Amino acid sequence: MPDQQQPYEPERAVAGTGMGGQMDLGASEAITLEKAPESPDGTGPQDRPRSLWSDAWHDLRRNPVFIISALVILFLIVISVWPSLIASGSPLKCDLAKAQEGSQAGHPFGFNGQGCDVYTRTVHGARTSVAVGVLATLGVAVLGSVLGGLAGFFGGTGDAILSRITDVFFAIPVVLGGLVLLSVITSNTVWPVIGFIVLLGWPQISRIARGSVITAKQNDYVQAARALGASNSRLLLRHIAPNAVAPVIVVATIALGTYISLEATLSFLGVGLKPPSVSWGIDISAAAPYVRNAPHALLWPSGALAVTVLAFIMLGDAVRDALDPKLR
Amino acid sequence: MRGVGHAKWAACAAAAVLAATACGGGGGGGDAGAVLSSSWGDPQNPLEPANTNEVQGGKVLDMIFRGLKKYDPKTGEAKDMLAEKIETSDSQNFTVTVKDGWTFSNGEKVTAQSFVDAWNYGAGLKNNQRNAYFFAYIDGYDKVHPESGEQSADTLSGLKVTGPLTFTVKLSQKFSTFPDTLGYPAFAPLPRAFFDDHDAWLKKPIGNGPYMVDNYTRGSRMSLRKWEQYPGPDKAQNGGVDLKVYTDNNTAYTDLMAGNLDLVDDVPAAQLKNVKSDLGDRYINTPAGIIQTLAFPFYDNDWSKPGSEKVRKGLSMAIDRKQITDTIFQQTRTPATDWTSPVLGEDGGYKAGLCGEACEYKPDEAKQLIKDGGGLPGGQVKITYNADTGSHKQWVDAVCNSINNALDNDRACVGNPVGTFADFRNQITDRKMSGPFRAGWQMDYPLIQNFLQPLYYTNASSNDGKWSNEKFDDLVDRANAETDTAKAIGLFQQAEEVLRDEMGAIPLWYQNGSAGYSDRLSNVELNPFSVPVYNEIKVG
Repeated sequence: MPDQQQPYEPERAVAGTGMGGQMDLGASEAITLEKAPESPDGTGPQDRPRSLWSDAWHDLRRNPVFIISALVILFLIVISVWPSLIASGSPLKCDLAKAQEGSQAGHPFGFNGQGCDVYTRTVHGARTSVAVGVLATLGVAVLGSVLGGLAGFFGGTGDAILSRITDVFFAIPVVLGGLVLLSVITSNTVWPVIGFIVLLGWPQISRIARGSVITAKQNDYVQAARALGASNSRLLLRHIAPNAVAPVIVVATIALGTYISLEATLSFLGVGLKPPSVSWGIDISAAAPYVRNAPHALLWPSGALAVTVLAFIMLGDAVRDALDPKLR
Repeated sequence: MRGVGHAKWAACAAAAVLAATACGGGGGGGDAGAVLSSSWGDPQNPLEPANTNEVQGGKVLDMIFRGLKKYDPKTGEAKDMLAEKIETSDSQNFTVTVKDGWTFSNGEKVTAQSFVDAWNYGAGLKNNQRNAYFFAYIDGYDKVHPESGEQSADTLSGLKVTGPLTFTVKLSQKFSTFPDTLGYPAFAPLPRAFFDDHDAWLKKPIGNGPYMVDNYTRGSRMSLRKWEQYPGPDKAQNGGVDLKVYTDNNTAYTDLMAGNLDLVDDVPAAQLKNVKSDLGDRYINTPAGIIQTLAFPFYDNDWSKPGSEKVRKGLSMAIDRKQITDTIFQQTRTPATDWTSPVLGEDGGYKAGLCGEACEYKPDEAKQLIKDGGGLPGGQVKITYNADTGSHKQWVDAVCNSINNALDNDRACVGNPVGTFADFRNQITDRKMSGPFRAGWQMDYPLIQNFLQPLYYTNASSNDGKWSNEKFDDLVDRANAETDTAKAIGLFQQAEEVLRDEMGAIPLWYQNGSAGYSDRLSNVELNPFSVPVYNEIKVG
């Protein structure tokens, strides 16, 4: 019913918006932080009120979605640091005589069109994805929350300018921007890709940080601290930041998954990482023409990519549920 | 394929109700007005005949121009086209008589002057034409196109118009096979419009071939339409050709399968395993005058210093050609053992095994040679190639893997893709290469001279690596001057041996022409240059 006043429901699809999507300002501001007045699952009386964080941790420990995704992510981190733990060969060792062959002893995933071992390449590809995901998210979170937080706290002209700048960045289509900017870069490391993601990703976090700082600074305890003569830096660091950071963490965790898929997209298009770097996007791109004869070479890296992205997005979902009980 | 057969039958039945059309595939005369679509890539340069030395532009020139000679689509033999006769008594002075009755598509008559003007333009230094070199044997070239400084003459003194349809050519030395080179588009005649309003001509080239350019949008398509009044014997059998630009031959192949495209003249390597089941007899695979090589930037000291020939020879011996042509190309390529092509035939100068052990896969010796030669420059070679045609990514990766395996170093060789052919050519002509790069050669005319001179003669038009060797140049000059064909070929082969000893370029494999087409088309053939014979194709 179009005329009926709908109660506002923050979209659960934040994960799907990615960097390019417009993050609804309302949604971010709706993620306000309130201490749950009582234990959400009502288990037993509380001796003393738990903090937001211990409450969230209490929730997370009991959330199977969190446990599964955390285990997957832990596994990914381990193999991206020590890929040789489970794949001892070199991902660049290829024997054309075995091209497109299927699964066989010692090579469970078979071989790709160049005769490289798909299993080894898939395992080694995790490092790129995890590195890009984690480092880009860190960069985006730090840059975005510092700029957004300061803008939200001080307001005025700086805030207005920053808001317009974020508008400009939101208008840049991600893949197109990547094709233009990254195609002129010849360096074959993860850094240009990370830099590009940070460049285009910070405005999203910046808006969320700004919104939540604005909400937090109107709280009574902040006003009280200000009345007692607390400096701006003390207000920001001691009173506002701890209470404004949760939405940033939620969105950043979910965005991490989308950054991983963005890296794969850019590498698929040939502007992200380039061979001899090993990346799922590169392998998917190389296997695509052979899909009719050697589908396994396409499916394994694609599957790994899908599971990884899903794990991070599920983790972000679980963290959001824990930090913002109102959404449940 | 039961389902497909049934659907086709149903469609035919429906059509029969509407009109008594031919149903039953193939046969029939086809619709002379119907237009076919074909895969293509943007040419590097505007379509001036003397400025086009790459395949995609050449494809169009082949459709919109006819020269004095035309190479037979089946045998490659040079036959008279606009030439009534070309006479010589000494292999140095030629008298050319142009056939009467030819015009350009704007109505202007093709005369002896049309040729002489075009050739003078092509040779002129100030016009900066890439194929100027083709006119180098005409007397007076050194004035029109001096090695340095400005040109001191606008016209070649060796060209004289002696009548409306006759002109004489005086060469600076004997060149017995000169008439056979005249089918190359650089020697095409040009109308006055080319000189009077050059910009307009570039936008919409006017020629004398069976097709006319209708319009061209760079990066998208070029539409060519049949020229109804075309006076030649090889009239177009269809209404025209739409050349569609693809930046990936896999996409073109998918479009062919989906019915969005009629002709693909570059079947992607990844589909070669399926092409017979996909297309049946609508797939053609014929020998062509194409050789793929790896060229080197000899303007870079790393590749021209003494000892580097050992590195190049080592790289050549580190490439397992047979494995790559078998696996990646499903035997549509043959490992190369000289620098020419089997389509020339033994009599024409092809000599199997001329390259000797330098073209054989010997990983241990390869490793040793590269070590002796001072190792790979910078510890790594990057093979630059264009990613949009020819499935180059697959074979460059395979070549690199082969080199890496031979040298026992995972990162000894990496591929360096360039998005489009035109870009790739620009980087080469701007001398931006720092390591080996792909250098395919599709012959211009079926002579051994064409496989050697334009590619390896000092400062020749397609000498992309700027390789230069006095001994080689001298042997080529002597071969050209030789009137006895067998002796000339012997000299060319000696020149080839010089090339081998210096490893001026690594021969990889001889390429077949391969093409697939939709069931709308019939009478599709590839000429020895692996270009579809568009004017013979019937649609419908």
